Amino acid sequence: MHNGPILWSMSLGGGASGGRLRSAGEGVATQEIFIPESSETALDLLSQHGSDVFIMGGGTVGMALIGEGAVSPPLIMSLSRAKLNGVRRTDGRLEIGATTSLSRVAQLIDPPLLATAARHVGGWAIRNMATLAGNLFVPPPAGDAAVALLALDAEVVAASKGSTRVIPLAQFFKGRAQTALAPHELVVRIDVPRSAGTSAFLKFGRRLMNTPAVVTVAARVVRDDRGMCTDARIALGAAGDHPLRVMQAEAALRGRTLDSTSIEDAAAEAVRTVRPHGDALASEWFRRRMVGVYVRRALHLIGG
Amino acid sequence: MRMVSFTLNGKPAVALVGLVESLRDVLREQLHVHSVKAGCGQGGCGSCTVLMDGEPIVSCLLSAALAEGREITTVDGIGTPTSLHPLQQAFYDNFAAQCGFCTAGMITVAKALLDHNPHPTRAEILEALSGNLCRCTGYLPIIRAIEDAAARMDGGR
Repeated sequence: MHNGPILWSMSLGGGASGGRLRSAGEGVATQEIFIPESSETALDLLSQHGSDVFIMGGGTVGMALIGEGAVSPPLIMSLSRAKLNGVRRTDGRLEIGATTSLSRVAQLIDPPLLATAARHVGGWAIRNMATLAGNLFVPPPAGDAAVALLALDAEVVAASKGSTRVIPLAQFFKGRAQTALAPHELVVRIDVPRSAGTSAFLKFGRRLMNTPAVVTVAARVVRDDRGMCTDARIALGAAGDHPLRVMQAEAALRGRTLDSTSIEDAAAEAVRTVRPHGDALASEWFRRRMVGVYVRRALHLIGG
Repeated sequence: MRMVSFTLNGKPAVALVGLVESLRDVLREQLHVHSVKAGCGQGGCGSCTVLMDGEPIVSCLLSAALAEGREITTVDGIGTPTSLHPLQQAFYDNFAAQCGFCTAGMITVAKALLDHNPHPTRAEILEALSGNLCRCTGYLPIIRAIEDAAARMDGGR
């Protein structure tokens, strides 16, 4: 996987010129593009070729990286016809196929947090192509849907030929462009359990829509009948190497009512913990400041 | 290389495409559909927007190999110079095009919007257009044109 400058800083930071775009596709020696018609075929191909295969969901990031010349994969596998899309609800639990488009996810009424996050990704055309599982692999400052999934305690269903395992999303991200997946594993589904509490999603970008994030916040707070926080999730995008939960900030709320004092403490913990990157959209300093502002706003929205 | 066949503006089209070649480049260079503009190549500007099975996509980020069997519509399939679609007439009447680079993408996405939602609110128009950049008009004439077209098409045209 690509470890160099991230997608959006390349496109917005002026790294690659338009002139390189055209030739890049012709210059690389891609030997094959696999378009499997079933998940079984996709897993077979992956067991044969493993990490040599560049996997594309909707291709909205993959094709841009290839076009820029940032990656030159010898083998590509598109999952667009692998029948891994679709949404199923069982016992209040939502099972979302890996290649379900973000347009489809944006139509889900429950949980509202996830649909709101999906609506914040790109524009309409991008959401028609981009997939929910693909959003787990895009580098910050993209990846808004993954932030909401973290706050919802989502689980990743990873399959390889002949076996399947479930990875809690909080343990899925291992570093920049690094995940807990083995080379022969494929994300086939994302499960979202029925969740308690009140939630809020806020994204701050340079424009209202169709923009990567300066910072993204998804928060969920569970309170008992006396108003004490019994559990909390505060997830952030564009605040580090990957979408992440700030557990120190979550802990600052536990056992307290959601008021100005506890909210200030949680925001301060978040600011202290995060290690955001600077890019053409926002400096590291500005992102850190905005983490505090937006965690505070999200928690006030929940509290109010 | 591989052979790909799809429907382009209602007619069959065949092209021999590179494995990572975009649909945008195939449309422009092999099929000479120059209304599909090559803008950012990153999915950020929307000037290469086409409809695939009636839904807007950015053709710069679609591997042409994946267009196999699909129905692709460009602005050329929406109206003709002698018989403009109401959207095209409304863009003309409302001065919604200046340099024209974004116009084909704008009309294409507006067509999909009105197909889904014949009476969009201004907020719905803004959301639908959020993936398409215009550096000339300030967007207001484009928004007015779409509102105008929606009103004109009310008679079921």
